[in-house]
Amino acid sequence: MNRRIIGFAEQVLFALNFFVLFLLLFESKVEVPVWLQSFGRMHPLFLHFPIVFLLLAMGMEFFRFKTANSTNEFYGIFLNNLLLLGALTAGLTVVMGLFLSHEEGYTGTVLQWHKWSGIGIFFVASLIFWGRNQTWYRAPVARAGALVSVLLLIGAGHYGATLTHGENFLFEPITSRSAKEAVPLEQAVVFDHVIKPILEQKCVSCHNPEKLKGELALTDPASILKGGKSGRLFIAGLPDSSLLMKRIHLPPAEKKHMPPLGKTQLTDEEVTLLALWVKGRADFKKKLVDLPPQDSLRRIASVHFVPAEPTEPEYEFAAADEETVQKLTNDYRTILPLAKESPALAVNLYNKATYSPDKLQELDDIRRQIVSLNLSKLPVRDADLRNVAKFENLEKLNLNFTEITGGGLKELTSLEKLESLSLSGTKIRYQDLQPLLGSFKNLETVSLWNTGISDADIGRLRKQFKEVAFISGFRGEDSEPIRLNPPQVKNASTIFTETLQLQLKHPIRGVQIRYTTDGTEPDSLKSPVFTAGTVLDKSTSIRAKAFKDGWFGSSEAVFDFFKSTHKPDSVTVLLPLNRVHQADGPYTFFDRKLGTFNANSPAWANNWAGVRNNDLALLSEFRKPVSVASVALRVMVEPETGIFPPQLVEIWGGSTRENLKLLGTVKPAMPKEKSAPVLKAVECRIKPQPVSFMKIVARPVEKLPDWHPGKGKRALLLVDEVFIN
Amino acid sequence: MAAHTPPPYKGGGRGVVLTMMEKEILEHGYNFNRRRFLSRLSLGLGSAALGSLLIPDLFKGGGSEDEAFTPGIPHFAPKAKRVIYLFQNGAPSQQELFDYKPKLRELLGKELPPSVRGNQRLTGMTANQSSFPLVGSFVDFKQYGQSGAWVSDLMPYTSKIVDDLCIIRSMYTEAINHDPALTFLQTGSQQGNRPSMGAWLSYGLGNENKNLPNFTVLLSRGIGNGQGVYSKLWSNGFLDSVHQGVQFSKGEDPVLYLRDPEGMDRHERRAMLDNLAKLNEMAYEEFGDPEIMAKVKQYEMAYRMQTAVPEVLDLSKEPDDVVKLYGPDCLVPGTYAANCLLARKLSENGVRFVQLYHQGWDQHGNLPFEIAKQAKDVDQASAALVTDLKQRGLLDETLVIWGGEFGRTSYTQGKLTKDNYGRDHHPRCFTIWMAGGGIKPGIVYGETDELGYNIARNPVHVHDFQATVLHQLGLNHEQLTFKHLGRRYRLTDVSGKVVRDILA
Repeated sequence: MNRRIIGFAEQVLFALNFFVLFLLLFESKVEVPVWLQSFGRMHPLFLHFPIVFLLLAMGMEFFRFKTANSTNEFYGIFLNNLLLLGALTAGLTVVMGLFLSHEEGYTGTVLQWHKWSGIGIFFVASLIFWGRNQTWYRAPVARAGALVSVLLLIGAGHYGATLTHGENFLFEPITSRSAKEAVPLEQAVVFDHVIKPILEQKCVSCHNPEKLKGELALTDPASILKGGKSGRLFIAGLPDSSLLMKRIHLPPAEKKHMPPLGKTQLTDEEVTLLALWVKGRADFKKKLVDLPPQDSLRRIASVHFVPAEPTEPEYEFAAADEETVQKLTNDYRTILPLAKESPALAVNLYNKATYSPDKLQELDDIRRQIVSLNLSKLPVRDADLRNVAKFENLEKLNLNFTEITGGGLKELTSLEKLESLSLSGTKIRYQDLQPLLGSFKNLETVSLWNTGISDADIGRLRKQFKEVAFISGFRGEDSEPIRLNPPQVKNASTIFTETLQLQLKHPIRGVQIRYTTDGTEPDSLKSPVFTAGTVLDKSTSIRAKAFKDGWFGSSEAVFDFFKSTHKPDSVTVLLPLNRVHQADGPYTFFDRKLGTFNANSPAWANNWAGVRNNDLALLSEFRKPVSVASVALRVMVEPETGIFPPQLVEIWGGSTRENLKLLGTVKPAMPKEKSAPVLKAVECRIKPQPVSFMKIVARPVEKLPDWHPGKGKRALLLVDEVFIN
Repeated sequence: MAAHTPPPYKGGGRGVVLTMMEKEILEHGYNFNRRRFLSRLSLGLGSAALGSLLIPDLFKGGGSEDEAFTPGIPHFAPKAKRVIYLFQNGAPSQQELFDYKPKLRELLGKELPPSVRGNQRLTGMTANQSSFPLVGSFVDFKQYGQSGAWVSDLMPYTSKIVDDLCIIRSMYTEAINHDPALTFLQTGSQQGNRPSMGAWLSYGLGNENKNLPNFTVLLSRGIGNGQGVYSKLWSNGFLDSVHQGVQFSKGEDPVLYLRDPEGMDRHERRAMLDNLAKLNEMAYEEFGDPEIMAKVKQYEMAYRMQTAVPEVLDLSKEPDDVVKLYGPDCLVPGTYAANCLLARKLSENGVRFVQLYHQGWDQHGNLPFEIAKQAKDVDQASAALVTDLKQRGLLDETLVIWGGEFGRTSYTQGKLTKDNYGRDHHPRCFTIWMAGGGIKPGIVYGETDELGYNIARNPVHVHDFQATVLHQLGLNHEQLTFKHLGRRYRLTDVSGKVVRDILA
């Protein structure tokens, strides 16, 4: 049975050889019927059988003449049958492949290589099968035959894979990425680095100067512009009317669709990029970053490029010993690496009190690594610069506000790498610096603000040393005069019991403060100058201005000082305060803390007690009777927000709580429309008399005037302090 | 009970109420994870405390190989070493300051086309407005400098230094209200609890001057409508507490509790600190809580600050020239001008990140009056700061940033009258400027549409801006990470691209 099957298979193999020869000879005349096309398309599936069978068989054939193998009966039979099976499946695969090659889209050198290596496998395998038992077939022949077969298998497999997956499928992830990484985003040229790679991958295998399919080459700008058999490839700016895009957009089944069916197709992104390139007038020179940032082409293509990393400064010297750096670091001397993996160090020294020249000398072990040194505001002297000059790789040196003069600067000329030198605030002079500047090799910036060098001399330096940037700066005497800020009060409180020594101050030295107490505006000539001896003995409104030569006088500052002689021993609030305007309850009125405008500040909520729907009524008690002549309430008036003075204030007094008499009333003036917000004291004068109990009643405005947006509503009354004198 | 016998378990399953003691012991266990155990074992307490003074997070997670970042050392050579961020809190209106829109004047009172607004989310303050009338700037603009940048007449001093500035008119953000927007700009997240930009930089770069905090905060307010700033904005988040921003206040004691109590001298203070440190080390031995060591470091820093701070904060020795440069208010503590001058002094002394907030830019109404005052408050001192850094040769290594948390609408909020109007919040575009620190000077980047409503060219997202700032300081924003609760966090969350077009 077995023998019969094998014999039949051998005959089929013989027939297959002739069939394949026939197909090859009459290739151009063969028409493949439709039903056989499916058979042909099984080629990519079936080809795996001969590969496996033949690889195994050829391996065994290679070692067949080893004594152990040649005497093994099973080895011989198994190998013979395996070879037969391999050759048979190879033959079938070849037939399928030949049928498939008749379909549309299979042309080109790769196909030829694939075809002939495949056919080679079949014939070589058949020959080995028939010749392997002849006398001339010895070990060398067997080995050579096996080797040739394996090489052919690899070749056919490779070319076949290239046909289906495209050129360089295997190594593309490695080669293409490294190529893309090599071009940073900033340097990427739209054509060279975006469009050309697409053409090279998908088009150039057919459209190159050697093959010239359709008389078109897509290898260089000139050929691309020239076009092919069907004319110019594109009309710049009009992708939809361009031949290139038309061919790409044809249905894949169309004969003229590009790339042809069976070849690797363009991805959607590639099609879009090509269209956008043509739309952008098919420019060959433009860089990607020259396109506007919102440009679609730029946005799509940019993803594939990595922006260039900023070039790191490179240093030739080796890194300092870490332990040394740690040892030299202390609270007043920081030594920081410039960056990760950089040998360069930046050194900063701080604190005048702890500085001494040996703080620089100690850095000798890391003198090569220091590239930046900050000594600003330290008592560094000229002699110390000799130590600085040892830091041979120093690039940046900050000597602002040090005690150096021109003398030591010469030492620094040996610093060949020095780029930036800050000398602001030093005593350096033109005649010190000018002769030395030529000896600095690499100097780029020198800051000279606030030194002994005038602006005119800096101008001269700029002309002489064009490669150096000289930084001058702001000089007060050259600028327009500006207005002084108003004087300030230094007294801890503006409320006093008996007398108060007036203390006014101004933050700027040498300012003269002039003031008035009569409500007139102070002027720079006639008004009295503030001196420390001014004493107030009654509530006073001080108006003050600051003056200084070279400045405009300040605006007027008004300070209200209040005398508050009697502080009650206890205070009771008789009617409720507003829920949101409680301030400090009864303590609010005699705590000597005044409120301010600006409802957002804490001082507002803490100091203003308010009522709206009932009177403000306070009962104050004095254990010893006091003589009262005036009661004043400090109120806020902010008409816009409905904060008004009281419409009526009543003062009641007497010797007992139960027996109070009305001592006086006052009806304050109401604000006019659009009047500015103001803080003022509403005073009620009474006939001087002793009282033990006093009731103060203030009634909020019950109807806002007609001009007010909230007309007819009740106004808010805010009081922060009460003064009893 | 013996010292090491665990306390009896009370209750069972979920909802167990832990006593304080049990909680301590539980946390103690958490604090001794493998990594910390190893680093403690190998380095010992003393050296850890000493070595990490320079680079506070040196030993945190140093053992793991996938750590892309060594705290305290930049990834690449930095252009800028320090940042001064002049935060204009409340969102200054770009239409009145830097983004010149003549078309808005032409279209005064005309309705904003719905197509321009699109599906824009509006705040509760204008969402119910029946119309959105456009309004142009009440103040004129002129072109200045070589760059020809347009600047409004409200900024006479800033207009003189435009050739040192990079004005970005195409910033945009995701938040529409102050607090989330501010938090987003500062921490990269709207919700808070993340480290602030200054804390990240402190973590990333380490101290330059170990006698001053690495991250300081200065507050001031103008008379305009203000919005709050909270200490969460200068939080260290999950980073070591040493990276927290230190607020300098305007009073007698700029740094609270820094002064020695009455009757205590330096030697006593030193002895007290040494003894306290011993006690703290004992506590650390027992509980292993890293916050204990952070505290020891803070005490040491405070001790050194006692001499360093008064020296830095002393404005009395500033020459008249400097006073004229910043304006006379610079000697009045608590003003924006004083804070700018202080910022320069702190920065000059090696403080990595000086954060200013100037409140009062929230002009929903009464805009012409309020913005004029606000601009006057900040204009001279902001420009002075840039000039002052420049004349000291420090501008190239100091990055100055000026700007708010978002922009303001091109339409008016509330009633539009002849000389008064307001503007609502507008996250779609706003203007900031940067100077120094390796940023291209004398350029105007980005563009908004004719109505100043949408960005027309080169948008810069908040995370792009943050990535750019970090980049200038030598930090890769994708690698400046900190592992917390099982994931790595960054300032830029999961996005952000360095805006390379504005780098010098």
